[in-house]
Amino acid sequence: MSNKFVRAIRADEIAPGGMKAVDLDGREIVVCNCGGAYYAVQRRCGHMNAPLELGTLDGIYLTCPMHCAQFDVTTGEALSGPVPPDPDHEALPPTLGAYMQNIGILMSHVRTESMRTYRTRLEAGWVEVG
Amino acid sequence: MNAESRKRSLQYFFEKVVGPLGFKFTPDVELKEFLLDQEVILEAKHGAPFCPCQPLRHDRTRDMKMVCPCIPFHREHFDAIKRCWCGLFVHKDVIDPNTLPQLDQKDVGHE
Repeated sequence: MSNKFVRAIRADEIAPGGMKAVDLDGREIVVCNCGGAYYAVQRRCGHMNAPLELGTLDGIYLTCPMHCAQFDVTTGEALSGPVPPDPDHEALPPTLGAYMQNIGILMSHVRTESMRTYRTRLEAGWVEVG
Repeated sequence: MNAESRKRSLQYFFEKVVGPLGFKFTPDVELKEFLLDQEVILEAKHGAPFCPCQPLRHDRTRDMKMVCPCIPFHREHFDAIKRCWCGLFVHKDVIDPNTLPQLDQKDVGHE
């Protein structure tokens, strides 16, 4: 994305504590309204690419809907990785159980990366992202 | 991941949980920072900010009752001693945690 700001979304379309995903020049971005302060971060979770606008925003902290990794939307910093799975979960059929075990082994090697952030500004009722 | 940032976010979330339960962070700032440091280390190692003063038994049902703030699971005892076991949280009316009584769980009928 270039240095210039582009209109992303009308400010009144996002309630305080809310998020919305926008596509800007092919870039997927989530605009967050943190009590009237707007922040923009990459849409995909730094853990396993889940769409973050489906998660929850509490203050400046965004929690991913998939594995609950948390991020600071002001800096994009990853604060925590996925929550531990429940190994005593309802017994799965053997084939599916083996598959899930394999997925678990793969996931244990997945790092939670910090997110990219974008500059924002309010201009004529629009949140602009640069 | 930055430990200091995680500490601040844990503090933010914990305050929202413990406040309605009648608790607050200990006024002993040094103790608070130390315990939060330990929880960040435990979370990085085990995936959740477990209570630093309790052993993990690798029994999920039991261990999940040790994820901070563990007040709801041990409320009876904490209300009797006006603090949680590690001392990170105290009742809102507590000014000096060092003056609080020490009572065995059995004394308050909590096993």
